[in-house]
Amino acid sequence: MTQFGFYFDQSRCTGCYACVIACRDWHDIQDTTIELRKVIPLEQGKYPDIHLSYVSLSCCHCEKPACLAACPVKAISKRDSDGIVVVDHETCLGKDRCKQFCQQACPYNAPQFGSAENAKMQLCTLCADRLAEDKNPVCVAACPMRALDVGPMDALKEKHGDIREAPGFTCSKTTGPSIIFKPRY
Amino acid sequence: MTDPSEKTVVTSCPHDCGGRCLLKAHVKDGVITKIETDDGDDVQLRACARGRAYRQRVYSPDRLKYPMKRVGARGEGKFERISWDEALETVSAELVRVKETHAPESILYIAYSGNTGTFLHNQLSGFRFLTMFGGFTPIWGSASFWGNLFSTEITFGTVTAGHTGDDIPNAKYIIMWGWNPAETVQKTNTSFYLSQAKEKGVKIISIDPRFTDSAAAFADQWIPIRPGTDTAMIMAMAYTMITENLLDRKFLDKHTVGFDKFEAYVLGKEDGRPKTPDWAESITGVKKALIQDLARQYATVKPAKILTLGAPGRTAFGEQFHRALSTLSAMTGNIGIHGGDPAAFGLPPVGLQPAAGTGLIARQMTGNLPEGARQRPALHITKLWDAILKGKAGGYPADIKMAYITNGNPVNQFMNSNKAAQALKKLETIVVHEQFMTPTARYADILLPVNTQLERNDIIRPWQGESYCIYLNRVIDSLYESKSDLDIFTALAEKLGLSGYSDFSEDEWLRDFWEAARDLTDTKPLPDYDTFKKEGIFRAKRTRPVIAFEKQIHDPEKNPFPTPSGKIEIYSEKLKERNTPDLPPIPMYIEAWEGKNDPAAKKYPLQLITTHSKRRIHSNMDNNPWLNSLEPHVVWIHPQDAKTRGLENNDEVLVYNDRGKISIKTRVTERIMPGVVSIGQGAWYRPDKNGVDRGGCANVLLKDRHSPAGAFCSNTCLVEIEKM
Repeated sequence: MTQFGFYFDQSRCTGCYACVIACRDWHDIQDTTIELRKVIPLEQGKYPDIHLSYVSLSCCHCEKPACLAACPVKAISKRDSDGIVVVDHETCLGKDRCKQFCQQACPYNAPQFGSAENAKMQLCTLCADRLAEDKNPVCVAACPMRALDVGPMDALKEKHGDIREAPGFTCSKTTGPSIIFKPRY
Repeated sequence: MTDPSEKTVVTSCPHDCGGRCLLKAHVKDGVITKIETDDGDDVQLRACARGRAYRQRVYSPDRLKYPMKRVGARGEGKFERISWDEALETVSAELVRVKETHAPESILYIAYSGNTGTFLHNQLSGFRFLTMFGGFTPIWGSASFWGNLFSTEITFGTVTAGHTGDDIPNAKYIIMWGWNPAETVQKTNTSFYLSQAKEKGVKIISIDPRFTDSAAAFADQWIPIRPGTDTAMIMAMAYTMITENLLDRKFLDKHTVGFDKFEAYVLGKEDGRPKTPDWAESITGVKKALIQDLARQYATVKPAKILTLGAPGRTAFGEQFHRALSTLSAMTGNIGIHGGDPAAFGLPPVGLQPAAGTGLIARQMTGNLPEGARQRPALHITKLWDAILKGKAGGYPADIKMAYITNGNPVNQFMNSNKAAQALKKLETIVVHEQFMTPTARYADILLPVNTQLERNDIIRPWQGESYCIYLNRVIDSLYESKSDLDIFTALAEKLGLSGYSDFSEDEWLRDFWEAARDLTDTKPLPDYDTFKKEGIFRAKRTRPVIAFEKQIHDPEKNPFPTPSGKIEIYSEKLKERNTPDLPPIPMYIEAWEGKNDPAAKKYPLQLITTHSKRRIHSNMDNNPWLNSLEPHVVWIHPQDAKTRGLENNDEVLVYNDRGKISIKTRVTERIMPGVVSIGQGAWYRPDKNGVDRGGCANVLLKDRHSPAGAFCSNTCLVEIEKM
């Protein structure tokens, strides 16, 4: 099975949020409590020796998704063709009828519900609609720093190496997130 | 899946950063469904979060939908819908009344940069209208970089003194001096070019009171400095370079005038006070050894760039910073070479130039009136409120009775917002063109709804100069009853019987602009207008970065600098003759008022700097939910300063001085120098009944005073903070 994933060049990221807004626009997410992609700042050190880095993060389309295992109605699955984790809205119970086990299980808080009544779970689709047309996910195409890349994990490893951790991101050994980094130390 | 019934339209964003990015709007059944950015050939003009959030601006429920008249008190925000006909009747009658019962100059036209860089639908439409109507009082100055513009003009004789962004990776050493393009954008792709330089191994230094996103992403070293003291540090760098003989005397002899006088000042031969690194350490808070190190590195690694735009010059004597910085660049011979930089206004000699002096654009600017009839004394942007309150009796050129405000939010964005509120209450009439109920719009008597750039055709270019321009194709029809400024003034001209204001269609105007324009990279021929409109972008062909003053340095005999001496003026005879206090002919360090030694510092011990937020463009987008949710509006304060005041992170505090009080939350962070606090300018002014601004507008706190040359001193301010 081919596993698609992300590459994130943290050394380039300026924390500008263009990826976040592009994602909200493309997927028409007006509810600002839904964060399919987020940018998380990390500040360390004491004045004047400061370290600041950002992690731009969405669902990592893990090899063994904890959300999938946690869902009581098996609404979450992984596509055979590309390993993208998807949720079936017909089956998902919604946030009021379920204890949002998927969100609790995810080490990255990727499953999102938002504020609407009994909202169904949403997560990054890796812009499967765009991939099908040979276009990069909208976050990758948006990044003014060209810090994001996407593709089959094998190809990404060949192009960018295989570093799996960076300041602000711990690689979960149990779920196997599909993301490679160039860290900023 | 892309819907085949959708079309995409190329457009851009007209707000006031120096960049211009490509936006591609998807439209279906007359509604914008998505916005993408440049996906063409490299180097793509990728938009920032603010451009990407445009759908929430255009389709905001808060858009002003129809003309309104005020029914409550000024500032209260109570309005009633009226017809366009009634609105235009009222505005034209008021214009005539004020002109006839007072004087034409009693009409103050405040048009600023809320919508900027466009050829047609811009501030000039009102300028032309009011000129043809019989005159008005205009404004002058720049809240962004007047110190830099002034200094660049004096030193080099022109403000075209920058390099294109793709020259950044050619440097071997870069100092970002009070410069944070990661948040301010500067030019489209500036940050991308900085990352390329960093990845090549170029050493990059950030000098700034804050550890900015740019410092984090690009800099090898952060040097925090006390606000308003940068010029002292430059003097000490010059001292080190002079005393250690680390300067390019040949370059100075050949291309500059007055270095001897500057050298005498730096060595203390005039005032008995050598500008040593020790001297500078006590002023700037930067260690002597750091200053010496920086001077040695900048002087010996060539080519080197010092990059800045406005911030250190937005201080009490801001022009001195820029004059001194360009002198450093001349001392190292970093002018006129690739990878160097004149450390001046960053506009390179590229791009599309509207052919002023010919064609319709000249008519648009002058209103066809002879020069004598057009000239009226202008008011500086920091003095508008004082001038309204005091008038001729206070020494101002006019008694202002009416304000006509377009393309801006001056209550919020010019200094001393409480004084603005007081002044605007005194006027007989206020007309505002706006898209939203901004703090300024709340003071209007007649409020006219303006469309966005997505609802009209125009041409736009980056004002920081790059070799492309974008056709703003109309994406959708104007929403509600909104119109462009030009359309409003055209309708007013008809009401007033002003013939010849605009006897052209939008398309005729733009076609004429395009045909009269020329491209500085000499791309010939320019594509014809229809091709340009269809493609949406024109990129001039060039093979290498374009830099300023290459000819002047290569062959000075044939290519003098456009200064009176024909050389780079470290000493300016023009300034000597001007004989203005605190505007000396050579760059000097002059201690700022409201600095740490000001007696007021006993009461207000914290230095406030006002910065640019990455989720706004000045005050634009403060009401955009997508952007608003990204980061809270906060005051940055160092843990040490927070502790002595008993403050913790996310506390609601009052930031105050004699000019006003704002309420805001704290961000306690190691990223700011002790003794300094910072607030992102642009949050909307919302005074409560007790006069506390609940919106956290930084300009409430700023003194309405400009530097001797006219710089907007928004980084010279003392405040105190306490828990609410």
